[in-house]
Amino acid sequence: MILVEDVHKRYRTDHGLGPWVLKGVNFRIPPGVSVGLVGKNGAGKSTLLRLIGGVDHPNRGRIERHCRVSWPIGFGGGLQGSLSGRQNAKFVCRIHGHEDDMVDRLQRIADFAELGNYFDEPVKTYSSGMRSRLQFALSLAFDFDVYISDEVTATGDAAFKKKAAEAFKQLAGRSSLIMMSHGEGTLREFCTAGIWLNDGYAYWFDAIDDALRAYKESIPKWFKRSSNLRLRGSAPGGWPGCRTSWCPRRFAAACLPSPLS
Amino acid sequence: MDATDSVGAAGRHPLRVTLSVWYALLLRESLTRLFSRRAAWAWLMAEPLFHIAYMLAIFTGIRAYKMGGVDVAIWLITGMCAFFMFRRVASQGQNAISANQALFSYRQVLPVDTVIVRALLEGVLMLLVTCVLLAGAALFGHDVVPDEPLLVIGAAFGLWLIGLGWGLITSVLCGLVAEVGNLIGFLMLLSGAIMPINSIPQPYRDYLILNPLVHGIDAVRLGFAPYYHAIPELSLPLLYAWALGMLALGLILQVHYRERLMHQ
Repeated sequence: MILVEDVHKRYRTDHGLGPWVLKGVNFRIPPGVSVGLVGKNGAGKSTLLRLIGGVDHPNRGRIERHCRVSWPIGFGGGLQGSLSGRQNAKFVCRIHGHEDDMVDRLQRIADFAELGNYFDEPVKTYSSGMRSRLQFALSLAFDFDVYISDEVTATGDAAFKKKAAEAFKQLAGRSSLIMMSHGEGTLREFCTAGIWLNDGYAYWFDAIDDALRAYKESIPKWFKRSSNLRLRGSAPGGWPGCRTSWCPRRFAAACLPSPLS
Repeated sequence: MDATDSVGAAGRHPLRVTLSVWYALLLRESLTRLFSRRAAWAWLMAEPLFHIAYMLAIFTGIRAYKMGGVDVAIWLITGMCAFFMFRRVASQGQNAISANQALFSYRQVLPVDTVIVRALLEGVLMLLVTCVLLAGAALFGHDVVPDEPLLVIGAAFGLWLIGLGWGLITSVLCGLVAEVGNLIGFLMLLSGAIMPINSIPQPYRDYLILNPLVHGIDAVRLGFAPYYHAIPELSLPLLYAWALGMLALGLILQVHYRERLMHQ
C-alpha cells in the first residue's frame, strides 16, 4: 500500500521558488492495484512518480510506502558511463541487499538485456537503445511489489520492444505498476485504476477509463478542434468537413491519443 | 516533509541499507579511481613523489640536509603525505556529489554517502602510498620507522577528519559558489608541508599557526622523530576541534541541502 497525504511540491528555479507543481495531493494506492497517471505535459506526473519512488521529497505532506517500491524506471539515470554494464548491475544488486545471490541476478540481467560482449564494456560506449535495455533488465531483476515506470515499454528496437512488452505483462501479473504514458492503449492494458493530475491536484478514479475520460474532457474545445483540423487534414481520407460540436465524441477521442505531446 | 518506508519483515534496517550502499559505493569508487584512466593508479603515487622529488632536489641543492633536526627526505615525505592525507580526501570529497549525480535515482543513495565513501577510499589509498614511499626511502638508507606510532596515527586521523569535513562542506558550497573549489590550491604553501613554518617571519608566522593543518603535519613529523623541532604551540586538541567543528557543520549542510544536492 502506498499512502500519499497532502503532498505539496515546488522546485527552486534560477529566479527563486517556482510555482507549486503539486498543491496538496491525496490518495491511497491499495495493494495489487496498478495505476495509470494521466495529465498534460507539465502537470506534475514525473514529479509525482519521483516522489513516490523516494528520489525526491515533498515540500509538505508525507508519503508512506508499505511495500517494496522500485526506483523510477526509464528516467535515464542510474548508470555510470565509465563502468561496464556488469559493474553497474553489481552496484544495483549490492545497494538492494542482494550480495548473496548476485551471480544469479547478474545472469538474469545479462540474459534479458541481450547485450552480448557489450555487457562487459563501459556503458558510455552503448547506444541509447542498449542503455535502455540494460536499465529495463536491471529493473526486472528485482522482485518489487510496485514498479514505477515512465514509458519503459517504448524502448529499444522492435524485437526488444516485443520482449519487453511480454515481460511487462508478466510483471503486471505478480506486481503492480504505477505508470505514466501518453499511449492510451498501454494504460488500458496494464492499469486498472487511474489518477488524473490537473492544476496541481490529483483525482483518483477506480477505473482507468474514467480517468482518461476526465482528462480528455478537460482539454478545451477549441484545442480539440484545431488539432482535429491538423490531423484530419493530413489523413488520406481528406477533409470530411466535420465540426467538433456534432462529431461523435468517441471519434474525436480516437483522433487525439495524446493531444499535447 | 516526510517519506517513510515500512515493508515489515521483508524490509531492511536503515543501517543495513546504508552499510550496503557504502560497500557498493566503495567498490565502485575504487574501480573508477584506480582503473578508469590508463594507469590511473600510477598517478596516485606519482603526484606526491614528484612534489617530494623536486623539493628534495632544491633542499639538497642549497645544502639543507636537515630540517628542524630531521633528515630532510623524511621531513618531506612525512609532511607531503600528511598534507595529501588532507588534500586528497578533501578534493575527492568536494567533487563526490557532482560526480555521482546519476546514482541519486536510487533512493538508497544519499549525497552524503558518496562523500563519506570517497573519504574512506582516499584515506586507505593515501596510507598505502605513504607506506610505499617510506619503503622506497628505506631502500636509500633513511630511517623511516616512527618512534611514536600512536602520535603519527592520531595526527594523520585528525588530518583525514579535517579532509572529510572539508569535503562535506565544500561539496555543498560548490553547488552554490563554485569558486570555493579553488581554495584548496593555496593550502600546500600555507600548511608547512614544503616550507618550514618556523622560518616564516613574524607576525605572519602567528597567523599561519592558526591553520590546523600546520599542527597535524608537524605532529606527524614529531611522531616520526621525537627530537624534531616542532612548532612550540603544537596542539592536537586544536586539530581535532577544527575537525569536529567542520564535520558537524558539513553534516548540517548535507542534511539541510540534501534535496538541492540531489538534482543540481
